Amino acid sequence: MLQIIIQGLLLSGLYALIAVGFTLIFSVGRVLNLAYGAYLMLGGYAFFYVSQTLGMPKLLGVVAAVAVGVIAGLMKHRFIVKPLKGDMVPVEIATLILAVVLQSAVVLMFGDSSKILHSIIPGVVQVGTVSVPYSNVFAMIVSWTVLIALYLFIRKTHLGRAMQAVSMDQKGAAISGVNPDHVNMMVWGISGGLGALGGVFFASYTQLYPAMWVAPLIIAVAVVIVGGIGSIIGTLIVAHIIGFMEVMTTSLIAPELRGVFTMALIIIVLVVSPKGLFGREEIH
Amino acid sequence: MTILALDGLVKRFGGLTATNQFSADVTEGESLGLIGPNGAGKTTIFSLIMGEHRLNEGAIRLKGEAIQDLPTHARIQRGVARTYQVPRPFAEMTVAENIRVGLTPDSIMAMIFGSSNAAEELALAEAVGFEAADLDRLPNELSMGDLRKLELARTLATGAKVVLLDEVFAGLTVGEIAQISELINEKRRSGMTFVIVSHDLRSLEPLIDRAVAMTAGSVIAEGAYADVIADKQVRDSYLGA
Amino acid sequence: MTSNLNLRHAIYWALFAGLLFAMPYLVSKGDLRTMIFALYVGIFAMSWDFLSGRTGYISFGHPFLIGIGAYATAILSYRFDVPVMFSIPLAVIITMVASTMFILPALRIKGSYFALVTLAFMELMYQLVQVIRPDLTGGTRGISGVETITRGAVNGFYLAAFLAFCVALFLWLLTRTRLGAAQSAIGMDEEALKGSGINATKLKLFTFVVSAAVAGLGGAFYVHYLGSIAPRAIFDINFVFTIIVAALLGGAGTITGPLFGAFFLTFLLEYLRPWLPGAERYLIYGGVALVLYMYQPKGMYAIAAKLRAGVMK
Repeated sequence: MLQIIIQGLLLSGLYALIAVGFTLIFSVGRVLNLAYGAYLMLGGYAFFYVSQTLGMPKLLGVVAAVAVGVIAGLMKHRFIVKPLKGDMVPVEIATLILAVVLQSAVVLMFGDSSKILHSIIPGVVQVGTVSVPYSNVFAMIVSWTVLIALYLFIRKTHLGRAMQAVSMDQKGAAISGVNPDHVNMMVWGISGGLGALGGVFFASYTQLYPAMWVAPLIIAVAVVIVGGIGSIIGTLIVAHIIGFMEVMTTSLIAPELRGVFTMALIIIVLVVSPKGLFGREEIH
Repeated sequence: MTILALDGLVKRFGGLTATNQFSADVTEGESLGLIGPNGAGKTTIFSLIMGEHRLNEGAIRLKGEAIQDLPTHARIQRGVARTYQVPRPFAEMTVAENIRVGLTPDSIMAMIFGSSNAAEELALAEAVGFEAADLDRLPNELSMGDLRKLELARTLATGAKVVLLDEVFAGLTVGEIAQISELINEKRRSGMTFVIVSHDLRSLEPLIDRAVAMTAGSVIAEGAYADVIADKQVRDSYLGA
Repeated sequence: MTSNLNLRHAIYWALFAGLLFAMPYLVSKGDLRTMIFALYVGIFAMSWDFLSGRTGYISFGHPFLIGIGAYATAILSYRFDVPVMFSIPLAVIITMVASTMFILPALRIKGSYFALVTLAFMELMYQLVQVIRPDLTGGTRGISGVETITRGAVNGFYLAAFLAFCVALFLWLLTRTRLGAAQSAIGMDEEALKGSGINATKLKLFTFVVSAAVAGLGGAFYVHYLGSIAPRAIFDINFVFTIIVAALLGGAGTITGPLFGAFFLTFLLEYLRPWLPGAERYLIYGGVALVLYMYQPKGMYAIAAKLRAGVMK
């Protein structure tokens, strides 16, 4: 029981971090970034390269991962989203292709086999009968810190409010002096950084392998659909529902079924409410 | 005889009541002008009649049959169709193909095994003022006036008896307004029923038999155009008082 | 239906059939095997195109449909000894029924959400196949030793070519009718299509079921060509990628384009093999696809049309 609670909290915090970068793009840029999972993969491999292949400090590895993610996000915006004028379907298809391209680029550089990441912080802490790796606690603390910082950033700063404005009404925002292009670019960058950071943690949770981008993408998608687009609070809540559901399935039913309920949840929610749980009828 | 009866329509969007106990009867063969200031809820009435928004309360009857629970396409098959403020042609189809979609029957078998009728397409195109040479043009080559004509042709192609025209003069030149007005009057003479929404009251007046004025989702006056427009409440509503 | 068909089209189709018939005399056995793969990818890409290329409802989970057909016939013939001549038609029917069950609730979903649900369906299927009744599905390892219905490359090629030709002709004829026009109207403005008095939901359901039938048919024959099936080989995002890219490169919405797109991609992949033996071929492959897509989202069909227009001038 205690184990389920602890593991659930740890996993859910990470899922929230992963999902929030995805929901930002969906909300502000109005497109589904199917290459989002690739940020996680890039982040994980960047961390691996810097801290394990080059043997540099782990913290530097994390910074490098985030930097790679931000750059990937900015480049994607510049070379894919902008030329396609943010058109939904072409961007979705182009990002799917890009994800496969990035995956094979990783195979080319690092090989097909999976890699095990060294813990960011070695050692375990004993909570009752449960032993929890420090790395996972660290991941959760960082995730929560980032989420709270992001929340405050969006609510309290000028830039954050500009992001909100663009997500509500691109043209309206432009009229009131916000450059939607700049805001979009920034959001793609932030999203890339968040994804890459999530990737470092996700890879240390599981393993680092070239196809690792699909599973977190599906989780991010599920969180966004169920929790509502662009809502950080909604993302947090649903990330916990999904995280706990997975942990409970894994420990109580069968590990192979862990993803089934997530998928079923997406399908059920969309069928019951086609615009997502928080969708609204628009006023004409 | 009443062909379209709107009875106590209510539509709420969240906390906002866009349509509030709206009632009106449209007589067969008449042309009714629906007027009111911006945001009065005129377009919402059209959306409710067509089933694009779901009604919260009230009833819509077409030729006596309650249609408020039918899907959009079924309402059109029963004889009511609309145009949009911003024309919505099928962007990658030619004028002829756009009209063809309007003429297409709602049956998979008929779609596969039937064939299109070029003469009928041409007749409809000419009825709204196109020429044979226009049939192969794409919407992005058309002027606003032509787009409105195209939409009208596609609407007529559905075989509608009651046609709802939404801001049919917006964005048109004086010449185009005259052309469309002539077309509407011709259809009126042939017995078609119209409900017309327009901000351009001067162009609207000669096209209608009767006017209904609304504000904040409710009817405030109805009757002859001159009487309605002289009504104090109607004048106040336009002034925003 | 016949009014917009003409002699030129008949000649093209006859030439195409003749080319397919002559192929085994023209190329090596190795190339022929590559072509068999290309033909099956082509069938899947045409099935995808009939749904997504025309209506704009993007399916990111097409292997879901292919997999149902493939698994149905594999299980029927391998586990229950049903003769292939019955198991394949049954598999197609099962795919159609299953797809209807899944799609009925999903018909209200639009745009990106539709794509997501199809992706979720595929992942769901991938996980379920491994854990539910592994005694039937073979679990993670899948089933090998499924009866093959052709011997040798030439026979395999003729079967695949016959299927691909029939599917192409059938779907192409359908899209030449008013049905095809109504389908593309869904992609352009679904509300306006309803506003033209057409039941868009019924049309989408029909389109989806036809697409599913073709996918199930292709999947069923494919498994009897390969002789084996495994979850990761079918329900795979790289497989989705291959299908979609073939369709897009060939020219979405054109039906025959995707078949040629499949040939182009398969041979590109094959000719890269000497230099890049592993999965990294997808880097070049994807790179080419991405650049072509960004340059001309309407595919080689549009590029060819542009070139032809240029030459005519």
